[in-house]
Order: sequence, then C-alpha cells, then structure tokens
Amino acid sequence: MALEFKVRSLGGDLKRFVGLITDREHAIKKAPEKDVDPVFAINENAKLLHPDYQKMVIQDIIEHKGADSKTFVFKKADGSKAAYFRAGQYVSVLLKIGSSLVTRPYSICSSPAEALEGIVKITVRNVKDGYAAPYMLENFKVGDEVCISGPEGTFYYEPLRDAGHVIALAGGSGITPFLSMANAIREGTEDFCLTILFGSRTEENILFKKELDEIASQCSKVKVVHVLSDEKKDGCETGFINADLIRKYAPEGGYSIFMCGPEAMYRFAQKEIEKLQIEPRFVRRELLGVTKNVASLPDYPAECAGKTYTVKVVIGEQEQVIDGKAEETILTAIERAGIPAPARCRSGECGWCRSKLVSGTVYIPAENDTGRRYVDKERGYIHPCASFPTSDVVIEVPGSYMQ
Amino acid sequence: MKEFDYIVVGSGCAGLSASLELAVNNRKVLLIEQHNIPGGCATSFVRGRFEFDPSLHELCGVGSAEDPGFVRKMFAKYGVDIEWCEATDCFRVISTYSDGEPMDVTMPSGKEAFIDKMEYYVPGSRASVTKFFALMQNIQDGLDYISGDKIDPREIIKKYVPMVRSGGYTTSVVFDALGLPQRAQDILSVYWTYLGVDMEKLSFLHYASMVNTYVTKSAYYPAHTSHEISVKMTERLRQLGGTVMMGCRAEKFLFEGDKCVGVQTNLGAFRAKYGVLANINPDIVHGKMVPQHLVPRREKKIAAARDRKLGGRMFTAYFGLNKTAEELGIKDYSIFLVGTSDSVKEYDSLKHIATNNYAIMLCYNIHNEAFSPKGTCVVSFTTMFTSAEDFNELDEKEYFKLKTKMAKRFMDLLREKAGIDLSDAVEEITVASPYTFARYLNAPEGGVYGFETTQWDGIIPRTIEMTMGLDYKLKHLYTIGTNGVRGDGYSSAYTDGQILADRALAQFEKEDA
Repeated sequence: MALEFKVRSLGGDLKRFVGLITDREHAIKKAPEKDVDPVFAINENAKLLHPDYQKMVIQDIIEHKGADSKTFVFKKADGSKAAYFRAGQYVSVLLKIGSSLVTRPYSICSSPAEALEGIVKITVRNVKDGYAAPYMLENFKVGDEVCISGPEGTFYYEPLRDAGHVIALAGGSGITPFLSMANAIREGTEDFCLTILFGSRTEENILFKKELDEIASQCSKVKVVHVLSDEKKDGCETGFINADLIRKYAPEGGYSIFMCGPEAMYRFAQKEIEKLQIEPRFVRRELLGVTKNVASLPDYPAECAGKTYTVKVVIGEQEQVIDGKAEETILTAIERAGIPAPARCRSGECGWCRSKLVSGTVYIPAENDTGRRYVDKERGYIHPCASFPTSDVVIEVPGSYMQ
Repeated sequence: MKEFDYIVVGSGCAGLSASLELAVNNRKVLLIEQHNIPGGCATSFVRGRFEFDPSLHELCGVGSAEDPGFVRKMFAKYGVDIEWCEATDCFRVISTYSDGEPMDVTMPSGKEAFIDKMEYYVPGSRASVTKFFALMQNIQDGLDYISGDKIDPREIIKKYVPMVRSGGYTTSVVFDALGLPQRAQDILSVYWTYLGVDMEKLSFLHYASMVNTYVTKSAYYPAHTSHEISVKMTERLRQLGGTVMMGCRAEKFLFEGDKCVGVQTNLGAFRAKYGVLANINPDIVHGKMVPQHLVPRREKKIAAARDRKLGGRMFTAYFGLNKTAEELGIKDYSIFLVGTSDSVKEYDSLKHIATNNYAIMLCYNIHNEAFSPKGTCVVSFTTMFTSAEDFNELDEKEYFKLKTKMAKRFMDLLREKAGIDLSDAVEEITVASPYTFARYLNAPEGGVYGFETTQWDGIIPRTIEMTMGLDYKLKHLYTIGTNGVRGDGYSSAYTDGQILADRALAQFEKEDA
C-alpha cells in the first residue's frame, strides 16, 4: 500500500516544500552584505587558557644557596595575564643550547592567582651531569626572554576524585608543585587539607623553608613536616618518609597520597605505600621522566647497547638524517640536531610528541608506555620522548608551534 | 613549492572521507592537520589506565555486515576496516511526560521492536508510529535520490510525494499530522539534542534522516574509541599514495587571480593543481583565510543570515571508574537524563549554567566489556549549551570550579534519576568545556554541530542549493564538514566530505579542461 501523508492540502504542502528553497533565498537576500567576522569570544578565551606558547621575560632570580637551586620569576613579556592553571601543573621551557633545541618540563611553584598578574615561577635544581638545568642556572639573566608552553599535566587536586585530605610526599625540588598547591589553598583558589612530608638531607638544604613555614602558620589547612635524612633537628623528623611516618601524620578517615620527588624516593616510597593498603585511586604520582640507564632494564635488547643508528626525521616535506644513540631517546636525538619538535612531559605520558614510526624498531620501557592509545600501539605510532632506537628508523614528527 | 592534485585542510570526519574519496579516484592528495592526531572530534585521550572517546555517542548508518548502512559501505569502498560494537538499545530516557507523569522508557533498536515497545508504553500508538517509520524511510530514500547527480522531477512525483509533503515542516508539525499520541511524541523528542535544535525549529527531514537510520540500522561505535576510525582512515590514505602532515596549520589560502591554488602553513606553502577542500567553518575561511576582495557576495550574506548562531556547545565529563558497570548497577549504554520532554522549554533551560540540568550518560563497557581494564568501566556525561552567553566572558578563578560543579551535577542527576552512585569509584576524571572543544578543534565556540540547522538553513535547503550549483563559491575552494549539506554528526560529516569531494572532482577539473 502506498504511503499517504499530508499536513494541509496538496497545494499547501507543496508551497511549504518550495518554501524551503524560497525561505533560504529570502533569508540570504535580506541579510546585509558585510565582511565576515571570524573572531568568537569563546575561542579567544580558549587561547588565553591554552596558548601555543607564552613569551616571558625573566623578572627576577632567587637563589636558594643551601639547596643548589634558583627560582626564576617569569613575567609575561607583553604585560598580559599568563595562562591560568591548576596548582600542580607544569610548563615546558624551550631552550636553545648551542645548536640544540630542547624543552624541559618544570612544575610551576607560584600560585594560580599570580598567573593573572602575568607571573609564572619555576625552580631549577642543579643536577650532577645534567644538561638543561646547569645551562639555565649558569646562563639565565634578569631581562632574558624565555619561551614557555601553556600549563600542562594532570598532577592536581580533583575534588570529585581525591580525598579531602592529601598527604604530599615531597623530595628535594619535588616540593615545587606542593608549594603551588599550598599557596593556592592559602589564597582560596583550592580547598583541601594538605600535609606535606618533605624530605631533605639537612635543614640547610630545605628548599622554600621560610615560605612553607609561613604558609603553614597562616593557614590551618596546610601543615609541613620536614624530614631530614642526614641530621637530627628539633621540630623535624629524622630518616626517610616511610609508612610509619605517613600513619603518624595521616588524618582520621581516608586520605590521598600525592608524590613528587627523585627516582630513588619513588622506588622507596612505592613499597612503603603498599604497606598502607589504601585504594590505588587515592595514590597519584607526578611523572618522573625516562630512565637515564635504559640498558639496565631487564627486557632491554642487550645487543643494541652502545650502538648508534641513523634516524630519518620527516616534518612536513623536510627530511633530515641524524644520529640516534641506542641509549638515548629519539626525542633527544632530534633535539640535539636542533630540529624543532613538539614535546611536553618527556615521560611517554602526554602524547604531545606522538609520531609515526614509518620503519625500524624501537624499545619503549614498560613504565613509560602508559600514555599511548590502543590503536597507536597497534599501528606503530610512538612517543619519541620515551622511545629508544633499536635499528635505523624513519619517523614522521608533527610540526611544533613553540618558537 | 610541492604540488598535489588536491589539498584537504583539516582531518575531521569530513576531511578524512574527502581525502579518501579523492585518493580512491587516483588523485594525489595532501591532508594537513593542525593537531598532532587526526580526527578532530573523532579522537581519544588517555588518563591513567583509561582511554576515553571525547565525542562519539553512537554512529549512524553503519548497519550490520549483512545489512550494511551507508557508512559501512563507504568504509568498505575506501578499504577501511573498523572493529564495530553494536548498541542494541536505542536509548533509555528518564524524564517527565508533558502530562506531568514520570517517564522511564528503554527503546530497542530495530523498527518492529521499536514499534512494539512504543505500543507497550503508549497503547494505541502502533498505527501512527508505523506510518512514522514509513514516512522516514521515504524521506531517507528521497534524500539519497536528490543528493545524486541526475534528478528527474517525474521520479520525485512518482516516488517521493510523502517526502515533499512533509519536507517543508518542522518535526512537531509532522508529529501532529501523523496523529502520534502525545506520549509517543514525548518519547520521540529525546533525540533533538543530537541535532541541537528544538522540535519546533527542527526540520522533520533532518530529524527523519537521522532517527530512521538509528532505529532501523542500529547504532554502532568502534571498539577502541573513534581514534580507531581516524587513524585507520589516515593509514589507508597513505597506502593509497596520499601524504599526511600533522602539526601543520593552514594560515592562508593562496590564490592566483580568483582561483585557489594552494595553502600557506606553518610548515611552508603547498600547491594544489586542482583545488582545496577546507574542513573549516566557512566564517573562519571567509573571515580571515582568503583575500577579502575575493569573498563572494553570497557567502557574506549567508554568513550574515546565519548571524553566528551555532547549534550547540558541549560540556562533557569523562569518568574512569574502578568498578565494573555491573557492580555500579549500570545496565544501559545510553541514558538521557532529561528535565522535561518539552524540547522548547528544555532548549531554553540549556542556555545558562544556572538552569542547565541535562545529561546524556554513556557507559562504553555495556556492549564492549574490554573497553577499559578488567574490573573497571568508563562513563561519560554530556550536556549542551544552546547559548554562548555564559562563556563569552572568561572568569579564570571560577573556571575549574565550574568544571567540578558541572561534573558533580552530572553525578547527582544519575543518582537522583537512576539510583546509580559513582562517587566512590572515581579513579580518573576529566572535564571538557566549550573552551576545551575550542582549543582542540578551533571551531567557532567549540561548537561541534556547526551553525544551527534551522528551517531555512536545514539540510534540505543546503542540499538543494548545492544541486542548483556551487558556482557562487570561491573558485577551487570548498568548505566541508558540519556546516555542509548533511549537517552535524559523524556520519553526516563523512557523507558531506564524500559528496563535496565528488563535486570537486566533477567541477574543478572540468573548468581546467
């Protein structure tokens, strides 16, 4: 049976249908002929929150003598607001060192409110045999221009996920995201209780002692416990941050553990946290980077150690063949060659450097392979910041917007 | 300057299908994408041990292997093989009937099952709902016919009179003319948010073209997020000899005289022998990417008539949960948590943060247990803002608090309406606002639906306009995507990319010959 359908008379319905065409022509005809405005407020706001990069000027440098560190106070070069962020996030700093073009992630140690004044602070600790840190400590001067990324990372307090009380385990310069959080709690940007167990070698080594103690004295939600490994001092705990110490300062009821510090601290604290038997979702770690000694990992293909391969890097229609050492990441090789490549976390996690492995093979440490997408693993997309060449490779890298 | 036959700018759904359409026709294609991953909305992101799909709820027009829909056929033509999961129910909706009684209905896929279930919920609805489906089928066949190359008006009069007689009306008018009982109308209204226009403004043809496919062909989604589709499409493009560049942002289109001949990008300039397809909103293209003296008068007037009114701005929360769907008591793939079945009132309430109390909940593990690690599941909530007003001014200090507030509101809605409590199982949570979508897509207002498909700018007027000729457009440059002939949605965008690529093949090269 044929389908019969009508709304009005045949003529009326047809008129409406034809009206679809005439309505459109009418709407277009009566509209004014004017230049098209391509600017939308929401998109402009999105750029404020997530800029391609931020041009900063070093406004001040604060030395932390006992801690062999400096805090660099960056001010937005054009005097505008810096991108707002969540306390605990990091920025990636772009550095031109000789012919190399490298980035390094640093937790922001200033507060979110300061970003609205155009200020972003990072603290750089000297690293023995380091590369970028010693360069910055020796060369950065007040007035220098520095290019940094927008805020990145997921190491921040999330009220719908985390407990109302956070026990922070900090080691050395790993205090920086917690300093930002403590500041944010004091200024009212964040609302949770924060107990920082801060491991240092000696009292003299404690980074930001004055600032931390001041915040703790002004704000009842923030408590700081200094834990000294190499000396005994009144008012400080002695030894390493272990399960007993966490229990001693833990509140009644549930709590979350946030951890940021050097690799050795992670490995030690990991075992201690297991003893506490808290739900894994209440334990969060800031990213650690990639191991410096990849050949020591048990599943590393030993025959590759010490070799140098060729890495063909394709960006757009540009191709460049460079050396890639087996025990350095492909990103490191690219940066050494001075090729601009997108990168942020340098831990295999964020996927900013996601690239297509066109040919060849790589080794990816399991602990750094948590951020790749399922289909990327299947189809040979890698994160060069956590991939080590195990043959000659050809890789297609996205263009970078940092400059 | 390196030359290609065609350059496709933007690897959103339309950009991907357009690239493949050109490549399977043996054209040398360059596909550029500003982001470091392809897909636009059709992508994924990882948090902890979870991978999330940022936008896809269900894909229209896939159909089963035995009874393929247009999307499955298109992908087969392109040689793209996706691991599909079927959403066996259409939706569950928890709302209020317009007579004030509570509504909690679950509608199955499949025309017969859907009609039966509707008769169960709304006794006496069978005849009118059956007719409703027959009309939608007529419309779908008719739309395919008029999107083709050759159109014979006699054929339309012979076969598609119901389409013509319903085509000029909004959905609510056609519902009344079909004699659908009010409660059936209330249930059938639920899909309006997938199109971003309320039932009194929404063209019935547009509604029918989507809903008929959803019900008769069922909805599908890829087993490994929509990133699976986008990666496999780009991989296939490479196999077919295409070039793909990521982190490559188009700055300007290059012209010789009035003819578009290429694209200037952050990675250099590229030349297109025949033309360029831009998966970009036309206001952006005409507003700042082409020489202003070349912008056609008609494009300026279309932009002015649209008056920058966008179809919807998404606000979405993604949860990685450390319990299974079963443990949490989640049985449905999608639940519409709606305040009222009156779409006009609902549209109004979705304008502002204070009154937006709407969510579509999805649980990706329902038909696909392995979507997340054993013992876990992934749930997302989406609402839409029908006005930009509350987002035009950025109050940084309130921004992250707003994200938390909305995510909490979603959880509360699910607990109050469906009795499901997620609060003790949250292992990962990420919230995306209109700013987030704007950041990743660069689309105006982060609006994933493009301009509102109101009556004069619905898919039929747009299609007819195309049929009458695209000569008014910039020479050798077409915009494609959600503002195109099929409107918003993944399947619509794939179709639009394909249709416009075919038009380009017919038009751009003819002019050159």
